[in-house]
Amino acid sequence: MPQVLTANRLSDGEVVYLATDGAWVERIAAAQVFTSPAEGESSLDIGAAAERELKIVHAYLFDITPAGKPVKMREIIRAAGPTVRRDLGKQAAL
Amino acid sequence: MYRYDEFDQKAVDERVVQFSGQVARRLSGELTEDEFKPLRLMNGLYLQLHAYMLRVAIPYGTLSSKQLRMLAHIARKYDKDYAHFTTRQNLQYNWPKLADVPAILADLATVEMHAIQTSGNCIRNVTSDHFAGASADEVDDPRIWSEIIRQWSTFHPEFSYLPRKFKIAVTAAPRDRAAIKVHDIGIIIRRDAAEVLAFDVYVGGGQGRTPLIGHMIGEAVPAEDLLAYLEATMRVYNQYGRRDNIYKARIKILVHQIGADEMRRQVAVEFAEVKAQGALALPQVEIDRIAAYFASPAFETLKDKSPTTANHAFGVWLENNVAKHKVPGYAIVTVSLKPIGGIPGDASAAQMDMVASLAETYSFDEVRVSHEQNLVLAHVRQRDLLSVWQQLDAAGLATANYGLITDIIACPGLDYCDLANARSINIAQAISTRFANQDRQREIGELKLKISGCINACGHHHVGHIGILGVDKKGVEFYQITLGGSGDENASVGEILGPAFGEADVPDAIETLIGVYFAQRSPGERFLDTYRRVGIQPFREKLYATH
Repeated sequence: MPQVLTANRLSDGEVVYLATDGAWVERIAAAQVFTSPAEGESSLDIGAAAERELKIVHAYLFDITPAGKPVKMREIIRAAGPTVRRDLGKQAAL
Repeated sequence: MYRYDEFDQKAVDERVVQFSGQVARRLSGELTEDEFKPLRLMNGLYLQLHAYMLRVAIPYGTLSSKQLRMLAHIARKYDKDYAHFTTRQNLQYNWPKLADVPAILADLATVEMHAIQTSGNCIRNVTSDHFAGASADEVDDPRIWSEIIRQWSTFHPEFSYLPRKFKIAVTAAPRDRAAIKVHDIGIIIRRDAAEVLAFDVYVGGGQGRTPLIGHMIGEAVPAEDLLAYLEATMRVYNQYGRRDNIYKARIKILVHQIGADEMRRQVAVEFAEVKAQGALALPQVEIDRIAAYFASPAFETLKDKSPTTANHAFGVWLENNVAKHKVPGYAIVTVSLKPIGGIPGDASAAQMDMVASLAETYSFDEVRVSHEQNLVLAHVRQRDLLSVWQQLDAAGLATANYGLITDIIACPGLDYCDLANARSINIAQAISTRFANQDRQREIGELKLKISGCINACGHHHVGHIGILGVDKKGVEFYQITLGGSGDENASVGEILGPAFGEADVPDAIETLIGVYFAQRSPGERFLDTYRRVGIQPFREKLYATH
């Protein structure tokens, strides 16, 4: 199953994703998708380096569907915001 | 209410400076996350799904108007214009930035508030009866004793690294509104035959993964020995509580494993030693000094006179949300934070400001936070009730559902919480909307419905007359229903009905359970009474035959 590397930004806790250019972005749509387990595992080193560089906290991989949507409710909520407050979180700006 | 002395203020101010330095060192890289995490938790700062979360202590749920206004100010300035009142009488901000937290703590310190003892393996914020000092059934103001315990426990060097977190609750009324029997230590204050205060100390209660009802370990402990007895209990726990397994580290597991009698014996041995040293004997002068902070406000001499009204909505609110006060002419008002279809415990900054103003004008400048996630105006003149209701109504805070099926306790669940397995607020909203009809709610009568999004049970589902626990089954949210729990003086842990339900089926399942209750109940019975009389089987049979 494809995977995406995510974390929370150190300064404000914002949910971020690793993009193809190595930046940490707020939108899952711009995240880099790892299609093999080996690629995903190696991305964890990038996450660890970003933690040392004080960009992010607690990097980890999660599964997405072929359509690029998170599989688990936890990641769906992190990617959008609280389901009970559509005016909050990333979804508020959409 | 209690006011800081120079030592309290100095301690809190110094903590702000200390944590400000720690945040700066974290942001500069001097501290790693592993090093910083225990430090931030000691200051109530978590990292949740969307952002950091700051939990602010509201000792025994008592706030001044000035403090509530500051909480509103922080919500407006540093967060997203709202905050969440929790099941431990605390308040949580869901979106603070790490760099702003020192400024938030500094603002809190200006009104004698902080975020200490809201996280970590210490003695947490002491909770108490939200009707303290106002209810007719109490024998003393439990906040006096809660404050004494707070002063003893805050920064206690021996108990800063306990095996696990430790929660103490205090009540001084025969009607337990503080759920003391499901706390690590629960204290019931009563008067003995000679009218002298006596403290019954229950130990080993709790919810979470292993729900247990506390055992009375200390019976009729004298006031002067209260701290010595608590110290002795903590020492036994600190020595023998497990540190190798987080799931077995709470004192309830220790009491369960060695038995209440052995726990009582060990505490007695330790108590004798602590008492012999004498350092913790509470002098009457000190008790009196603390008690003076909680002296009754200057009540007028009035006669009881309930408002008469032709306004149906006001009348219903009077019946549901207004309780008897110990002083004639006064009443206790519960401000529901459970609007139909709303988020239990959430309040906007504007609503907090409004309640602060009401407290200032009508309730001697005092607000209470209940563990049931409502606010309380404890001392309102009966003749002011209409004005108070009108202003609450205009602010969307006059929902007349205290103690009814829509007065739901719910934890933040998977919408916010990093530990949750399932959402809980959405279930609360669906049930609240289904049972919105006021007449129907009143026909059902008292019903405590409580929802948790994981087994940690912050939503107190184990002690709900109807409890709902969210679980994750292969990535899908399901909800397990329990019946027969209670957090009051006749505390009990709910029994699991059977297989869990999908999100969409929960309101129908609750509807079926209410139907069984209506079919089975005898005159005057609450849902819990009927359940205790007929048992779980009729509910189980109907529910699983239907769904």
